[in-house]
Amino acid sequence: MTLDDLIHRPQYSVPQAEKEAALLAELTRLGQSHRERSPEYARLVRVLFPGSANPRSLAELPYLPVGLFKERLLSSVPESEVFKILQSSGTSGQTPSRIVLDRETAQLQTLALGRIMTSVLGPNRLPMILVETADLIRDRREFNARAAGLLGMINFGRDHFYALDSNLELRLPELKEFLRRFGGSTFLIFGFTFLVWTRFYQPLADAGLDLSHAILIHSGGWKKLQEQAVGAADFRAALRQTMGLTRVYNFYGMVEQVGSVFLEGDDGYLYPPNFADVIVRDPYTYEEVPDGQTGVIEVLSALPRSYPGHCILTEDLGVVHAVDASTCGRLGKAFSVLGRIPQAELRGCSDVVAAKVS
Amino acid sequence: MQIEMLLPQQRAIDLDELRSLLASGAAAEPFHPSIVDASVDLSQRIFHDAEARAYPELLALAYWMRKAEMVRLSAQFRSLQLDQRVLTPRGLVFHLPPRNVDTIFVYSWLLAALTGNRNVIRLSPQRSTSTGILLRLLRETLAAAAEPTSRATTIVSYGHEEEPTAMLSALCDARVVWGGNQTVEIIRRSPLSPHAKEITFPDRYSLSAIRADAYAGLPEDKRDHLADQFFNDSFWFDQLACSSPRLVVWCGTASETRAASADFFPRVAGCVERRRYVLPAAASMQKLLYSCSAILDSPVEQCRRYQGLTVLTLDSLAGFQRTHPGGGLFFEAHLEGLLDLAAFLGRRDQTLTWFGFTPDELHALVRSLNGRAIDRIVPIGHALQFHRFWDGYDLLQEFCRCVYIESTFLDAQPTRPGDGTGRC
Repeated sequence: MTLDDLIHRPQYSVPQAEKEAALLAELTRLGQSHRERSPEYARLVRVLFPGSANPRSLAELPYLPVGLFKERLLSSVPESEVFKILQSSGTSGQTPSRIVLDRETAQLQTLALGRIMTSVLGPNRLPMILVETADLIRDRREFNARAAGLLGMINFGRDHFYALDSNLELRLPELKEFLRRFGGSTFLIFGFTFLVWTRFYQPLADAGLDLSHAILIHSGGWKKLQEQAVGAADFRAALRQTMGLTRVYNFYGMVEQVGSVFLEGDDGYLYPPNFADVIVRDPYTYEEVPDGQTGVIEVLSALPRSYPGHCILTEDLGVVHAVDASTCGRLGKAFSVLGRIPQAELRGCSDVVAAKVS
Repeated sequence: MQIEMLLPQQRAIDLDELRSLLASGAAAEPFHPSIVDASVDLSQRIFHDAEARAYPELLALAYWMRKAEMVRLSAQFRSLQLDQRVLTPRGLVFHLPPRNVDTIFVYSWLLAALTGNRNVIRLSPQRSTSTGILLRLLRETLAAAAEPTSRATTIVSYGHEEEPTAMLSALCDARVVWGGNQTVEIIRRSPLSPHAKEITFPDRYSLSAIRADAYAGLPEDKRDHLADQFFNDSFWFDQLACSSPRLVVWCGTASETRAASADFFPRVAGCVERRRYVLPAAASMQKLLYSCSAILDSPVEQCRRYQGLTVLTLDSLAGFQRTHPGGGLFFEAHLEGLLDLAAFLGRRDQTLTWFGFTPDELHALVRSLNGRAIDRIVPIGHALQFHRFWDGYDLLQEFCRCVYIESTFLDAQPTRPGDGTGRC
C-alpha cells in the first residue's frame, strides 16, 4: 500500500498488522529521504539511533523530541520551495514551534484532514457554528495555532456562524436564529474544548435548546477543564443531557503534525487515521510499553515531506487500550491522552486562552 | 522598611533597628570555646533529631561539625598564626547563601563564626523543609550557647528588595555571595564600605579525569566501588551541585579509554538502578532534548542511553560549551595524558575529581594551569565534601584580617629605602 492508498481507503478500516507493514515501508523511505535532504536530521539519526537504517518495526524508527522544533528550524526542502512556516501559539515566555511546509506537504495535510473529518461528517458541507469570535482570524497579530486550527476546519462547513463576540460572550439571539434556519437537520459545531465548555455549554445549560442534530468536533486539550474537575465523560454526559447533543468528537493533534489528527470514535477513545499511528514509550528507557500502560506518546505520520517530523516524541502522557478491538467498528489502536508530563513546558491553544479569560 | 527576622528572635524588624542592633557588639576571639562548643552541640542536635536524620546532606553537615573536626580545624588555624602574623576577625560578615543547596548557609556561617566574626545571614522567604529544620536546631543551639556566641548571629529573610541588601552591604566588613553569576551581578549593585571585602561564588563547572590503564588494573569489586563513589558525587543533588562532575575525561590510548568507558558507565547505570534514583519524567525528556541540541552544536560522535544516564562522547574538547541540563547526563572525551587537559580548562572549572593519577601528575597539571582554572582536585567520591578550601579560597583566612607585627627591636641597622614595607 502506498501513501495514496492509505489516504484514500476508508479511514480506520486497515487492520493494525497490515497498516504497520505499510507505514513501516513508507516511513523508512521517508526517513531516508529526510536524511538525504536535512543534514541536521542525518546527524541526529546517526548519533542517537545508530544501526536504524533497516528498522523491523515502527518502534525502531528514529524519533525526535517535540521540543526540538522550538529550538531549530528543521527543513528538508531548499528555501525556494518553502510555501509557509507554521508557528505554534507562542505566548509570553514560550518559544513557539516552527514547521516548514512546502506545497506538497500543505496539500497532503488538507487532503488528509478532509479524509478524517468526512468519516464522521459525510461528504457534504454542513451549516457550521464556530465557538469562536470572528476577530480571531481578522486580527493577524493573534494569528496562532488556534486560528490555524479554525481555518483548517472552516472548509467542512457552510453558512458559518461565529457564536462568540469579541469579548468571548455568547451571541444568543443570533444563535437562536441560526438554529431556526438550520437546527432541523444535521449541522456542525466546532470549537476549542475549554471555550465550548465555558462559553457555549455553560451559558446554554438551562436554555432548553435542541442540538440533537449537531455534530460537535472539539480539540485543544483538557488541562483547564481538569482543573474544574470536568473530564471527557462528564463533558459528553452534560452535552447529551442538557441539549441532546450525542455526536461529540474530540481530537488530538499538534502543529508539528498538522492534518494528521487523532479523532475520537463513538466509544470515546482516540483512533489514528490510516496514514498515522501512535506508540507509547517509557519516559526513562524510551522502550515501547505494553498496551494498558501509561507512557509518553510518540506520534507517527506519513504526511511530513518538507520537514523531518514524521516520528515525534511528544510531551504528553497516554495509554493504548486496545488494538483492532473497538466497539465502534474502528480498526487500529484505541488510545487516550492523559495530559502533559508534569512540569514539561506548557503548550497548546485553548489552554492559553483559558489563562487569559478565566 | 520592615523585614522578617528569624534569629535570635522570630519577629518583624525595622531596618533602622536592625542597623543599630548589628552596629554594636564586638568580635570574639577566634576559636573561642563558646563557638567550638556550639558547633559540636549543633552537630549532636542534627544527629539526634528524627526529622533531620532523614536528610543525608544534613548528616554530612553534622559529621563535618563534629568535635574531632573542630579540634582539627582549630589546630590548622593555630598553624596559620606566625610570630609576625596574627589572624584577627574582620568584624561583621554578611552571608547571602544559595536557595538550592540548603546546608551552605551553615558552612558559610560556621567558618566565619569560628574565626570570631559576628554574622548576619539573609535567607530567601521560600525555604525548603531541611532549611526549616536547620533553622530550628540552630535557634536551639544558640539559645543554649555561652557568651559571646549566643549573641553573635542574626538571620533575616526578605525577597529581592534592594534596600535591606544595600543597608547590610554598607554596614558589613565582608560580604559572602553564593548562588551564581546572576546573583553576584545583582548584589554588586549594592556598594560595600571601602575597607570591606567580598567573597563570591559564581557559576562553576566540574569534571572527572580517569586514567584508563589504572582503571583496567582494578578488580571487579573496586570498579563497582569507584562507580558507586562517582554516583554519589553526581546524583546527590541531581547533578546540579557546582562540584558534581558533568564531563569525564579518559586518559590513555584510544583503545584503553574506549574499553574503560564501556566498562565503567554500565556500572554507574547499575548504581542508578540499585539506588532507585528516579528523575521526574519531564527532566528525563529534557535530557533527550538537550542531547539533540548538543549533537547538533558539538562534535558528539556517540550517544549511549542507559536508564537514568546518558553519555555523549565528544570527538574533541575544542570549543566545549559548558551548558548542562543536570539529572544524569555526562559528556566524555579521550586525551592521551592529563596535561593535555590544561588547554581546554578555564576560569569556570572548579572541581576535578580523579582516579588513577600520581601526585606528580596532579601537581604538574596545577602548575601548568598556573591559576587559569581549577580550584580543587579531590579523589572521585569527595566531590561534595565541603572544606575550608573552596572555590580557590581558604575560607579560614578569608574571614580574617592579617595583622603584621615586628616585635623584636633591631638597633643600629638602618633599613634601605623601599625595602620590607607592607608585607603580609
